[in-house]
Amino acid sequence: MTTCPRPENLYLYLEGELGPYDAAKLEEHIEGCAACRDALAERRVLHEAFTSLSPFEVPDDFARSVMDNLPEPAVRKAGWLAPLIAAVSALSVGLLGFNLFTGTSVLEVLVAVNGFFGSALARVAPLLAKTLKLLNVLLDVAVDLVRLGFTGLVTFSRVLGPQGIALVFGLGALLTILAVFGARRFLHEGEHS
Amino acid sequence: MTEDRQLVSKALKGDRKAFEMIVRKYEQPLTSYLGRMTGEREAALDFAQEVFLTAYCSLASYRPAFKFSTWLFKIASNHMIDHWRKKKLPTVSIDQPIDDGEDAVMPQIADPGPSVARKFELAEIRKKIEQALATIPAALRELFVLRHVNEFSYEEIADIKGLPVGTVKNRVFQAKELLRRRMEGS
Repeated sequence: MTTCPRPENLYLYLEGELGPYDAAKLEEHIEGCAACRDALAERRVLHEAFTSLSPFEVPDDFARSVMDNLPEPAVRKAGWLAPLIAAVSALSVGLLGFNLFTGTSVLEVLVAVNGFFGSALARVAPLLAKTLKLLNVLLDVAVDLVRLGFTGLVTFSRVLGPQGIALVFGLGALLTILAVFGARRFLHEGEHS
Repeated sequence: MTEDRQLVSKALKGDRKAFEMIVRKYEQPLTSYLGRMTGEREAALDFAQEVFLTAYCSLASYRPAFKFSTWLFKIASNHMIDHWRKKKLPTVSIDQPIDDGEDAVMPQIADPGPSVARKFELAEIRKKIEQALATIPAALRELFVLRHVNEFSYEEIADIKGLPVGTVKNRVFQAKELLRRRMEGS
């Protein structure tokens, strides 16, 4: 006959917490051991009592009194900055895109929008129009500068030819490497000094 | 579980009705636990109020990956520990074996003893358990209550108390054997 199970396992068996192998071994042992059979029977009664203890009575108005004592709800305040930035960014990108793809100036678009939305917008439209006109001018200048830079680069590369471009890139890479190593050495010496 | 998460989410948006539903759902399990830990119904109700208030104020820190009930009972358990510390009541270290004098539990020996089952009827056994429960160390009582009154799994209790599952199982067993011995002696 196998050895008597630990009392701990009797409780775990009753709770269904013993693995199938250990449970089978325990059942097999109990068949032939009167002492363990009695011990299990007693713990079964106790287990039944343990698992059926009465809950505490709670007054009907308990939840109400809890709620009455709670502070005002700490509602998460919606941030206003992020939506504002998102809206302004979306509008700017939209107008810029419209300007680039259709060639229609931002001012014209604004005028059209102004006409659509009517008098309310008309009050702020002049100020907005001036601002946007200024932005439009700045944008035109920026576009012209980029275009000029690009044209200059194309002309320069044509003048240099393929060998010249390779030489410029090579020199650039060499200068970058020297600058990086120089900086690292400078920093290294700085740490030691 | 999902329902709890939804209620918490609504409560975080300022829906007080949602939190009231949480209170109604957990008022009885929480009071049953706190009642057994304090031994007084009125004190248990006061503690339950405080636990719900703490839970409400720290609701934003609840992480939906975990069960709400274990989170709430963790607050309740910490609340009890603070209470005992303030009152300077003796607590039992989780690393220290429970040695209760003549009631020391000997887990290796199957001791049938005089049968409690033969001595009392079930209703009377429950009454005796309630009486004996008040006399066992709080560290054991708490784990016993969480397991058999609140019906948490061993893993959930381990989560609430921050203990290894094996330790929880062992402590619950010790509590049960201690209760049995106290009842035999009564």
